[in-house]
Amino acid sequence: MSKYLFGFLGILMLFTSCQNTQSDLSNEEGVSESRAQKSITLYTHRHYDTDKEIFAQFEEQTGITINVVKDGASALINKMETEGEQSPADLLITVDAGRLVDAKQKGLLQPIESDFLRKTVPEKLSDSQTHWIGLTKRARIVVYHPEKVDPEELTTYEDLVSERWKGKLLIRSSDNIYNQSLMASIIANLGEEAAEEWARGMVANFARTPSGNDRDQVKAILAGEGDIAIINTYYLGKLLNSADPQEVEAGEAVRVFFPNQGEGDRGAHINISGVGLAKHAKNKEDAIRLIEYLASKEVQERFASANYEYPVNPEAEASDLLKSWGDFKEDSLPLVKLGELNRDAVVLFDKVDWK
Amino acid sequence: MMQQFAHQLRSLLRDADRWLVYASILSLLIGLPFLAIGLGALEGVGEMWQHVLRHLLPGYLLNSLLLIVGTSLLTLFIGVSSAWVVSSYEFRFRQTAELLLFLPLAIPSYIMAYAYTGIFDNGGTWIALGKSLGLNLPKIDLMNPLGLIWVLGLSLFPYVYVSARVAFQNLSSSLQESAYLLGASHRSYFRTIALPLASPAVIGGLFLVIMEVLNDYGAAKYYGVQTFTTGIFRTWNFLNDLQSAIYLAVILVALVFVLGWLERLRRGRRSYALTGRREQGREQRRALPKGGKRLLCLFVILLPILAGLVLPLAQLTYWALMTIGDQWSKALLWTSLQSFGLASTVAVLALICSFCLIYYSRWSRSRLTRVYPRLVSIGYVMPGAIIGIGIIGALQWLVDFFASGLDWKIGAYVYNSLFILLYAYLFRFLAVAYGPIEAENIRIGRQLAESSSLLGKKPLSTLFNIDIPLLTQSALSAFALVFIDAMKELPLTLLLKPYDVQTLSMTAYQYADDELVQQAGLPALLLISVVGLLLALLKNRLLSRE
Repeated sequence: MSKYLFGFLGILMLFTSCQNTQSDLSNEEGVSESRAQKSITLYTHRHYDTDKEIFAQFEEQTGITINVVKDGASALINKMETEGEQSPADLLITVDAGRLVDAKQKGLLQPIESDFLRKTVPEKLSDSQTHWIGLTKRARIVVYHPEKVDPEELTTYEDLVSERWKGKLLIRSSDNIYNQSLMASIIANLGEEAAEEWARGMVANFARTPSGNDRDQVKAILAGEGDIAIINTYYLGKLLNSADPQEVEAGEAVRVFFPNQGEGDRGAHINISGVGLAKHAKNKEDAIRLIEYLASKEVQERFASANYEYPVNPEAEASDLLKSWGDFKEDSLPLVKLGELNRDAVVLFDKVDWK
Repeated sequence: MMQQFAHQLRSLLRDADRWLVYASILSLLIGLPFLAIGLGALEGVGEMWQHVLRHLLPGYLLNSLLLIVGTSLLTLFIGVSSAWVVSSYEFRFRQTAELLLFLPLAIPSYIMAYAYTGIFDNGGTWIALGKSLGLNLPKIDLMNPLGLIWVLGLSLFPYVYVSARVAFQNLSSSLQESAYLLGASHRSYFRTIALPLASPAVIGGLFLVIMEVLNDYGAAKYYGVQTFTTGIFRTWNFLNDLQSAIYLAVILVALVFVLGWLERLRRGRRSYALTGRREQGREQRRALPKGGKRLLCLFVILLPILAGLVLPLAQLTYWALMTIGDQWSKALLWTSLQSFGLASTVAVLALICSFCLIYYSRWSRSRLTRVYPRLVSIGYVMPGAIIGIGIIGALQWLVDFFASGLDWKIGAYVYNSLFILLYAYLFRFLAVAYGPIEAENIRIGRQLAESSSLLGKKPLSTLFNIDIPLLTQSALSAFALVFIDAMKELPLTLLLKPYDVQTLSMTAYQYADDELVQQAGLPALLLISVVGLLLALLKNRLLSRE
C-alpha cells in the first residue's frame, strides 16, 4: 500500500519539478536569443479574472508570454527593492496610486516613453515624469438607502460628520488603502487640522465598529444597520452582477451619490489602478507594448464592462451600468498627493482611533 | 563571570562531536532566513516606532492575548474531549469520526471566517433560509474578537486533537488494566493517568495553535480585529516602515519563546517515558458509552464536526455550485495536482529534517543540539510575509555574491525556482513536523536506543531499526499536518512561487481578497478534497496501532 503511495508521490514530485525547469529555461536571458519566445514579467496586485483573459489575448496576438507574479503591492515593491538590478520584474501593477508613488520614490521605476500613452492617458492620472500611469479609475462614493435617506440631504464628504448621520454611517476599517487615500485627499484639500476634526466626526457617526469589506457595508444597509455607506464604485457593479441572489438584492437596495458636486466644489474622490515600468526592466519595449495594449480603447472597454471600473482612455465608452450612475465631477487633486500623504493619513486614523 | 564563561566554553568544546557539527550545519542552513531578519533588526527601529508604541502596540497586544487565551481554551476543550471520546469509547462510525475530526484543519481559517459570515451575517444563508420559511431570523454578529475566537478555534482544534489522539492511543492497555484493577474509575483514569501522560503532546499541539493564532492575518483583517500580526502589516504596508515591522515580528518571536520556556520549566525534569509498553500492549479496551454519557459523547463528537466541517462545507458547496459554470476548468484540476505534489514534497522533506535533528541530538553529548530545533522552529512563529523578506534577503546574499565575485547572473534562476519555494516551506513548517515526533520521542525515552547501541548496533542502524519504526505513527501525523499546512500556505507561495506554479489556496485567497468570495468556494472545496484524499490514503496507517 505505502509502496504505491510513495511511488505515486515520487512521480508527482518529478512532474512538478520538470514543469518548473521548463519555465526556468524560457525565462533565462542568456538563451532567450536562440529562442523565438519572448516574455515579460509582471508583478501585480490585481487578481481579477478579466485581467487573466486580457493577458491571454495579448499573448495570442503578439506571441509574447506574460509571467505573472501576484501579491500585495508592498510585498512586491519590497521584492523588487531587494532583487535590485537582477530583478526579473518588467512591470508593476497596483490598485492605487499611493503604492506607485512609493515605488517611484524608492527608485524602482523609470519613465514610460510612449507617444500613444502620452496622448491617451490624462495627465492628472499619471506621474509627472510618466514613471507610472493610470489604467482604470475608481471613485469612492456614498451609497444610501432610498427610503430612509433623501438624496437632497447628501452633499459632501465634509457633511458626513454632521449630527444628522449619527449612528447611520457605514465604512470599513482604516487598514484599507481606499480609505487611506480618501483620508489623504481630505488632508490635501482641507489641511491636517481640519482633516483630523473630520475623521473624529466620522468615527462619532459610525453605525458600528468598522468590519468587513465594501460589499458588507452595502449588505448592512439592506439589513438596516445603517443608512449610508462609503464604498468604491465597482463593488456596487459586482454586487449587482453577483451569482449570489442575496448580493444582488443588497446592490439593488441602494442608490449612488457622488459627493462634492456643487458649483465650485472639488468633486468626488477618485483613485486609479495603475502600472509602472521597472527600472531594471529587461524587456522594456515589450513591456511598453503591453501597457499600450492595456490602455487601448478595446481593452479599456473590457475593464469597464467586465470589472465596472471607469476607463482612463477618453475614447473608451463606459459600460451601461456606469453610465446609469451618471457623469460626475472628479476631484482634480494630482494623484501623487495620495501617495505622499498616505502615511499622514494612517497616522491620523490611529490618532482618532478609527479601527 | 569570566570564569563561568570559560567553564561553559570548555564544556562546549568537551562535548563537541560530529553530531553537533551535523546539527549545526543543518540548523544553520534552515535558519538562514532568520539570520537575515535578525541582522535586519539590528539596524534599529524605524522612524514610526514612537507612533507604533503609542497608538498600536497596547491595543494589539491586548487583542492578541485575548485571542490566544480564548482560542487555547476552545481548542483544548474541543480537541482533548473529542480525542478522548474516540480513543476510549466504542460506537458506530467511530473510525469515520476519527478522520472527520482531522478535516477542519484543511479549511484555511480565513475561508472559515468568510464561510461563517456567509452563513450568519447580513444577507447570509441563515437569514435567507429563515425568510423562505417565513421566519425573521436575526443575524449573528461574528465580526468581533469572540467571533474570531470561535472561527479560529474551529479551524485549529485538530492540532490539539491529533496530538492528543495519538498520545491516548499509545497508552498501553496494561496501564489501563492496572488502573482499573486498582479501582480507578474511568474518569479518574483520565484525570490522573491518561491526561498527564498525554500532556507533552497536547501542549505541543496547543503550541501550534497559538502560533497559528499569532500568525493569522486574513481572518483577523476581515473581522476587523486588530492583532499583533495585522499591526505588523499596518506598520509595514501603510506606515511604510519595514524596519519597525521587523522589530514587531522579533518581539512576537521573543514572546513565543518566553511561552515555550515557561512550558519547559513546567515540564521540568519529569520524564514521560514508559518502558516496555508496546510489547505487552494489547488493543486498548474501548467502553460502550451508556445513558447520559452517550448523549455527552455524541455532543462532544458532533459539535466540532458540525460546526467545524459540515456548516462551512455546506456554505462553500453552495458558493461552488453558484459559480461552477465559470470556475470549473482543467486548469483548476492541474492546480489541484500541483498543490498536492508541492505539499507532499514539503512534508517528506520536513520529516527527513526532523529525523535528522532528533537523531543528532540523541547521540550528541552537547546540549546545543537540543536548542537548535527550537531556533529553527522560529519559522513557524513569524508572520509568513516577514519570513518572505528574510528568505529574499538571504537569497540576495547568494545572488550578489555570485554577481560580484564571479560575475554570474543567477538571479533569473533563483527568483523563479521551485527549490526556493520548497526551502521556504521547510523553514516555515519544520516545527510542525518536529513537534509531534519529538513529543513521541520524549515519551519513548532513549533506553531502547541505548540498549541497541550497547548491543553493538551502529547509530544509523539503530535509527532505521529502532527509532524510525517506533516513531512511524507520529511521523505520519506529522506528515499529514505539514501536508495540510503547506496546502494552505499563502504569503510565501505568493511571494516566491515560480511563475507557472499555481496552488489552490492562492486561487481561493485571491478571489476572497477581491471580495469575490463565492468564486473562492470551488477552489476551497477542492483543497479540502485533496486533503481528504490524502487522509483516506493514509487512513489505515494513521489509525492502526503499531
